[in-house]
Amino acid sequence: MAFLIHCPNCGARNPYEFKFGGECKQAPAPQADAKAWCDYLYFHENMSGFQDEWWYHTMGCGVWLKIRRNTVTHEIAEGTAP
Amino acid sequence: MDTTGQILRYKQPEKSYDVIVVGGGLHGLAAAYNLARYHGVKRIAVLERRYIGSGGSGRNTEMVRSNKRAHETLPFYKESLQMWDGLSAELEWNLMVQKKGLIALAHSDGELVSMRMQSDLQRRAGIRIEMITPQEIKKLVPALDISERPALPVIGAQYHPEGGTVHHDAALWGYAKAAGRLGVDICNGVEVTGFQIAGERVTGVKTNVGEITAAKVHVAVGGYSSQIARMLGVKFPVVTIPMQVMTTDIMAPFLDPYVASPRLHWYTQQTLKGDMILGGQLDPWQSWNSYTTWQECSERVATILEYFPDLAHARVVRSWNGLCDCTGDSAPVMGASGIENLSLDIAWGYYGFKATPACGKYAAEYVATGRMPEKIKPFALERFYNRQRVREIII
Repeated sequence: MAFLIHCPNCGARNPYEFKFGGECKQAPAPQADAKAWCDYLYFHENMSGFQDEWWYHTMGCGVWLKIRRNTVTHEIAEGTAP
Repeated sequence: MDTTGQILRYKQPEKSYDVIVVGGGLHGLAAAYNLARYHGVKRIAVLERRYIGSGGSGRNTEMVRSNKRAHETLPFYKESLQMWDGLSAELEWNLMVQKKGLIALAHSDGELVSMRMQSDLQRRAGIRIEMITPQEIKKLVPALDISERPALPVIGAQYHPEGGTVHHDAALWGYAKAAGRLGVDICNGVEVTGFQIAGERVTGVKTNVGEITAAKVHVAVGGYSSQIARMLGVKFPVVTIPMQVMTTDIMAPFLDPYVASPRLHWYTQQTLKGDMILGGQLDPWQSWNSYTTWQECSERVATILEYFPDLAHARVVRSWNGLCDCTGDSAPVMGASGIENLSLDIAWGYYGFKATPACGKYAAEYVATGRMPEKIKPFALERFYNRQRVREIII
């Protein structure tokens, strides 16, 4: 496998057990203009390096996790918690 | 002996150019070639941080086709497919164009209906495409198991006779050589690290070998567009997702057309050399790493074996991945970047190789004239803001 994900509930697990949820973003305020919402929905930082991202442990504890992962080296940062 | 020197001489960049193309892949080289050949641009440099073709241009599966769904983009894809035919003569280099046909299998009534709708649309755009029965498939692909044995039997297919393969390295060398002959400076090992920006205008690039000024900069960096975005302080509508591909050892010819199953996410072809290319599924996460995984390899092999049981003796000898810059609407971004003098040809994660000839033509036209050609208007970046996203579902 490409790397392991450290699930706080299940330990180090195969990433194929998870559903990848993309990079963590800050949603605009509900009354924000259309441009802000288009930026939020369609445009991505798409980081080459460490980024905070969502992973859902679909074949494990069934919890959405925030994981800090390096998208170039696949290193998972220490001390990540949901 | 320097064998590459005989057909192509790499250069160190000069201090100033009319056009700088960032990215020495097929799209960048094709744009440079077209600018030099058809638009009379004299001083062009192609800057490549590793070696030409080291990214997606040398990692794709060589498929060419024009069976997309969104009607506004079909004329562009059709033209690109037709352009491959004349390209070997134009570039004076054999691109090994083999229009051996493409068969997309259907496993359910729903898929058949959807394929018929697509086929009607594609035929209306002048693309040769037809629906065929399992018996007709069997005539074209004798090795395919069309029995009831697989869990999802083959019940029909969409046949695209103009589809096929082009040797991607040959295409790369063809464009590089032709561009080199026209005086384009192809600079390997020159990494763009930033841009010179005056107000809202790009005036040049910063590189590991110094600053280079340019009247215009064209970005054709394949899977690395978000790194360019960060240098410019903007975001692009892409997520970088790898796709893994495998190849087997070499065997006697037994498979003529390209065969794909959109439902089960696999495709396979036998190359001119005799090895089978196996692949078809994007990885389930974002990554910039060049890894391959046992899970993907075994899953792809198992699904393909369901339909090609004769391949059971074949050995997988190599695997690799390539980075796909994916947008939300399966269409690329071309043209204006929002910054003056900087044009884009990015987000080709789904379709980059096949579109090379037309991309080179229209990207060059845009760079040279500043006007957006009609055929690539649907790919403009503004579409994400003005509700004109491409209605594409086919990868």
